[in-house]
Amino acid sequence: MTLFISITIAVIFGSAAYLMLKRDLIRVITGMILLGNAANLFIMAAGLRRGRAPVVPSEFETSDSLVQAMTLTAIVISFGVATLVLSLVYRVYDAHHSVDLRRLGSVEAVQSGLDDQPTAHVIQAADDAQDARQDREIAARQGGRW
Amino acid sequence: MTTEMTRTTCRILLLPILMISVGVLVKGYADIGDGFSAGVIASLGIILQGVAFGAEEFDRLPLVRYAPLATFAGLFLALAVAFLPVVSGDPIFLHHPVAGDSATHFGALEFITPVLFDIGVFLIVIGFCVGSIGAVARETVRRERDRGAQAETRRGSPGAPAERGDRR
Amino acid sequence: MTIALPLAILWFGALFIALFDGTRKPVGYTAVGLLAAALAATVALGIDVHRHGPKEMGIAGWEAGVGIALRADMLGITFAVVSLVVLTTALWFEVSRDVKARIFPALVMFMGLGLTGLFFTGDAFNFYVFFEISMVAAYVLASYGESPRQLRAALIFIVVNLLGSVLFLVGIAAMYHNTGWLDMDRISVQTPMLEENPVILTATIIFVAFSIKLGLFPFHFWLPAVYTGTRPAVAAILSGALANIGSYGLLRFGADIFPRELREGAWVMLILGSISIVYGGVQAIARHSPNEVLAYSTIGQVGYILIALSIGGEAGYAAAILYAVINALNKTLLFLSASLRGWIAGAAFAVGAFSVAGVPPAGGFFGKMVIFQIGIDDGRPLIVALVFVGGALSFVYMFQLYRARFWINQEADEATTKGALALVVALALAIVLIGVFPEPLLSISREATSILPERAP
Repeated sequence: MTLFISITIAVIFGSAAYLMLKRDLIRVITGMILLGNAANLFIMAAGLRRGRAPVVPSEFETSDSLVQAMTLTAIVISFGVATLVLSLVYRVYDAHHSVDLRRLGSVEAVQSGLDDQPTAHVIQAADDAQDARQDREIAARQGGRW
Repeated sequence: MTTEMTRTTCRILLLPILMISVGVLVKGYADIGDGFSAGVIASLGIILQGVAFGAEEFDRLPLVRYAPLATFAGLFLALAVAFLPVVSGDPIFLHHPVAGDSATHFGALEFITPVLFDIGVFLIVIGFCVGSIGAVARETVRRERDRGAQAETRRGSPGAPAERGDRR
Repeated sequence: MTIALPLAILWFGALFIALFDGTRKPVGYTAVGLLAAALAATVALGIDVHRHGPKEMGIAGWEAGVGIALRADMLGITFAVVSLVVLTTALWFEVSRDVKARIFPALVMFMGLGLTGLFFTGDAFNFYVFFEISMVAAYVLASYGESPRQLRAALIFIVVNLLGSVLFLVGIAAMYHNTGWLDMDRISVQTPMLEENPVILTATIIFVAFSIKLGLFPFHFWLPAVYTGTRPAVAAILSGALANIGSYGLLRFGADIFPRELREGAWVMLILGSISIVYGGVQAIARHSPNEVLAYSTIGQVGYILIALSIGGEAGYAAAILYAVINALNKTLLFLSASLRGWIAGAAFAVGAFSVAGVPPAGGFFGKMVIFQIGIDDGRPLIVALVFVGGALSFVYMFQLYRARFWINQEADEATTKGALALVVALALAIVLIGVFPEPLLSISREATSILPERAP
């Protein structure tokens, strides 16, 4: 059982690390959420006793309730942080029309390059083009929305 | 848009879901359940309405409009329960009646101060879940509307937005 | 004096301030007042602890070990006071100019709450919870201003620091599994009896987690990106208050819970600290924008704390505390005064620069002198050389920065208000005072080490 849990944690942690190294911010966030889950699983695995659900009174051997309380707290915290980061990425998308880190870097380089007008126009045109493409993609992908 | 069937089901489901959540909240002291899980159940029920009826309709629900206020009220209630014992020189979070004393029962509900704390947690969770998801939904709707307006000015033809609307 | 008072002021205060629009001056000044009240309560608590010894409060009356304990000792109180001073100053500074976001004062208060909580808690998991409260406040603060550049910097900050938080969480779970306790006192009693390997692994994970927060050399890469784009008040908060988590965490978990592992890993810390000092100094010389120079300077200054820790013993730990305190004040002063104009701001900046370079009579002199003295006493020429090299490097980049900001480029980015100037001058005076009368701070930092075990080197 311990081996199985360790391998699961390792796989989740590895996938999370892989995703976090991507350029697409949505993947980075998915990686962050996975990472939190790997940590939660690790806390559960760190419990001192295994048994039935820890509801008292019980005549069975119950599992360690402290790790479950810790995991619940950690889940809530990572939920809150994930919400925050997602809204932040939404702000980035709103400002740059992109969630690709490399693209964001190039936009930033232009912006800090003492307002180089011609280049700024090029970027603006590229932005518009991408905007239009995304519009088409969204329209093609989605039939209905709530 | 969702079908009439889904909308009716969602509307019917709302009250039972809220009732179950209150049940989970009050039986947390003798059985499985607590303020947090009750809050999650209740906010799922409310968010379901948003999924069925769309963001505009969702905003009209009084539960959604006062969600941020619920967070504040819940946090204040929980903090008050936590810090009030300090006034009489006791450690924080000390509950009344203290451990070992008997409490008044009403079914599964025990009348002890931690119930108030849990109600606070319940309110925080509802306020946070509903409030944050509502904010994102509102922003999405606003953005779609802006985009529609932008596309209209870009193309300069009055027929374009209607066509886009149809495609979506 | 109860431990709960500062926490109660901050909790209720933050909640109250969050209800109102923080861009309005009265709200901002109320927040400053509440932070100052929490600071006063913490100082009063510190005086009480100084007279009667550490205080402890079991939550809900449970005895320590069963329940969560709040514990106030000199180490925690010292860091809490410094963090609250920095937060109050930075918030005041921002309010006296103009707050740009309505949530800003409430966020600063939430961060103060998280920091005070984690300095006062005696429970490892509770430490993590308070740590996350202050980190979430910092995540939002890093995006304060909301220019695209700040948003991107905030994202980098969040991703890297979340990794650190997760590592810390894993470390706590490992500690719990190894010792069966979450109470820090019990853990520190248990760890010497355990097998060495799992403890070394846990200690390494926790060391990495705190190094990420501190911005130590191999984990520093997020730091310049975040500090460069952000506003001066936020940079001051991040480097003056939030970085205290790292120094405090290394002291609490390193010197208190894992003293054996700290001693065994001393050479690693010495190497990392030395690289940090040299790397930070050289990079800072190569940069031009003031925030960037100061960001690299932060990386360099952290190295001294690590070196003091690696020396260990009462003198080493006291030097680490002293250095962390002075460094937090220095960085706050520098970040704030570099954004102002005029000869008064220039003079205040010069005091901060002298303090970083370790020139008397500024307070930083004593931080460096203590480490220097230990190096001489122990006959370790490397440490003596490092103090000299680091000091020389910081003198060079500070002079460059001073020249660029106050001699050549005279125009102001934003209005230099009287209130902001007065604050900066007060902070500079405080640093000079520490330099002229160092005895109280020296004795406080010695007293703070008294709770750490194995003080003999």
